[in-house]
Amino acid sequence: MRRIFQIDGDETECWLSHDGSGMILNTPDGAIPCRLDPTGLPGGHELRAKGRVQDVRLAVGPDATFVHMNGRTYAIGRVDPSERLAGNDSGAADDRIVAPMPGVVVSVNAKPGDHVKEGQPLLVIESMKLETSLTAPRDGVIAEMPFAAGDSFGLKATLALLASEED
Amino acid sequence: MRRIESLIDTNAADYKANYAAMSERLKEFHARQHATRFERPQRDIDRLERQNKLGVRERLKLLLDPGTPFLEFSTLAACREYDGAVPGAAVVTGIGIVQGREVAIHANDASVKGGAWYPHTVKKIVRLLDVALENRLPVVHICDSAGGFLPLQHGVFPDRYLGGRVFRNQVKLSQANIPQIAVVGGHCTAGGAYVPTLSDYNVIIEGTGAIFLGGPPLVKAATGEVVGVQELGGAVMHTSVSGTGDYRAATEEHAFSLAREIVSQWKRTPKTIIETAAYEEPYYDPKELYGIIPKDRKTQFDMREVLARIVDGSRFHEYQPDYGTTMVCGFAHIWGYKVGILANNGVLFNDSSLKAAHFMQLCNQNRTPLVFFQNITGYMVGREYEERGIAKDGAKMLMAQGGSVVPKFTVIANASYGAGNYGMCGRAWDARTLFMWPQAEIGVMGADQAANTMADVKIRQLQREGKELTEEEIAAIREPVLEKYKRDVEAYTSTSELWDDGILDPADTRNALGMSISASLNAPIDDPHYGIFRL
Repeated sequence: MRRIFQIDGDETECWLSHDGSGMILNTPDGAIPCRLDPTGLPGGHELRAKGRVQDVRLAVGPDATFVHMNGRTYAIGRVDPSERLAGNDSGAADDRIVAPMPGVVVSVNAKPGDHVKEGQPLLVIESMKLETSLTAPRDGVIAEMPFAAGDSFGLKATLALLASEED
Repeated sequence: MRRIESLIDTNAADYKANYAAMSERLKEFHARQHATRFERPQRDIDRLERQNKLGVRERLKLLLDPGTPFLEFSTLAACREYDGAVPGAAVVTGIGIVQGREVAIHANDASVKGGAWYPHTVKKIVRLLDVALENRLPVVHICDSAGGFLPLQHGVFPDRYLGGRVFRNQVKLSQANIPQIAVVGGHCTAGGAYVPTLSDYNVIIEGTGAIFLGGPPLVKAATGEVVGVQELGGAVMHTSVSGTGDYRAATEEHAFSLAREIVSQWKRTPKTIIETAAYEEPYYDPKELYGIIPKDRKTQFDMREVLARIVDGSRFHEYQPDYGTTMVCGFAHIWGYKVGILANNGVLFNDSSLKAAHFMQLCNQNRTPLVFFQNITGYMVGREYEERGIAKDGAKMLMAQGGSVVPKFTVIANASYGAGNYGMCGRAWDARTLFMWPQAEIGVMGADQAANTMADVKIRQLQREGKELTEEEIAAIREPVLEKYKRDVEAYTSTSELWDDGILDPADTRNALGMSISASLNAPIDDPHYGIFRL
């Protein structure tokens, strides 16, 4: 897992390693020997790299580290690699909401022709003493809602159908 | 590890309604807990003062390291027994810190019936000593008990897990090289005399503490000998003549400072090393749990939203996110300790059971403790599922769960019905600690189903006898059954009967788990081994 950082809107991959005597920052442009020592001031550090010595101040937040240096503050965002590299592979959402188990419809919250948003509750079912809310798998228009409140249905019955997005 | 992205809208109407309902419940819960801990009839307070004794809470304060947490178990034990007249079952138990060491504490509460042992008192003490054995925790006993409550002696004395088990567990602790100390701050009579004498060390408080097999009245009745408490079993006699007592303390304060000094002499055993990370508070506020837990128990909720308010940094590595989705499995850290979490997002199907079994094996292989969050109405029923072998897939899950060698911890977060309770490490399955949330329910099935089943049996019986029942007559049969069952499945019944280690404010769950995990690492973790999986 390489680390991905975002600086001024640009993403860069870096990795900090150790060569036995000091730290090495591995960047896409090559390895940079470096060293960071606390100065005792709040967040204060002394950074040595490329033959230069630089005073910096660091503050660590949940998603980013803030570096104050030469009168300017840089936000260095930490990007989760698994999330970043996953892309949008959630796949094409189905048009169909299929009954996950046999049960009874408790309430229906949408009707054919309605425009719905992804995640919007379409109907509530009850099975095994549990009420489950079934939500729209994607944005779209309702084509069919075959069951009314009180109806019972079997496993894999189609409980809601969105209008096809083909063509 | 990635942070869970919460989808909760804290301005939504249902969030606010849930929040209000849970706040109301917690108001009652905290009030009951406070009453159990601190409210006593004036005459009991006066009696302790007359006897020159401190209350049990003050004694704990003298014993424990200041500013450290005390994980109290089963505060509301016996709250639905004895007409509520034996708060906390007349004993305080828990895990606390003494001289930087985690210890199990058993302290009689003499402000309740003179600290007499009721059936639930014995159950609570035995449970505490089981916790000490499983987690290899040293024990501090604070003894001040009138002895077994005679009118209920059949529930205190004879059976395997009753009075004798307290002393048997003390022997097993000693045999396992786990130290114990007793501070005698009242009378230890008959069986009670064995608590300090089976401890490696004991301290007797001069004037109030005494140890004897038979007290002065019993001696007089048995042999005619007339003898006072101090000569028969007081601090001076035992520490200078019989050698039954080790240290004589002038005051309560002196006794507990001696006890702390003794604890600090004990050899520390290194804790089991598991994976850890730097401690991090959850990113999302644990109090938001109040708005997430639905006020209607039947309403489904996403356990990931719960986990986001329990685990370090709200970070969760989910295992098999797209398979067996009614079972949420994954890794997280609590108080820096790496754990494997199993949480219910619906009924257990074949795939969710297999996923759970596989995940538990991964955690055992990895020596990763397991944490269960129960909201389970059962394994799926019906022809389709029986044909797919739901019963044998459930058996695999039980085999993996029951055969786990890593420490297990259970939170009954909502429903805990039927075999789902077993699969998800219910009380019978040796969770190191098991806690309940105040709105949670536990029973062989839901209240409505049980009431209907029981009423149906009765109705069919009457119909066979040729009786025609009207709607009202059927309701008259069903309603009382429903009322009773509803009460029987409540968290207060569970905690009264010690089917759990206490009810928790959901926002405290993280800390209770953190302390439990930390304590569990005093015991080593065995190599994984299992029974036969029905494949």
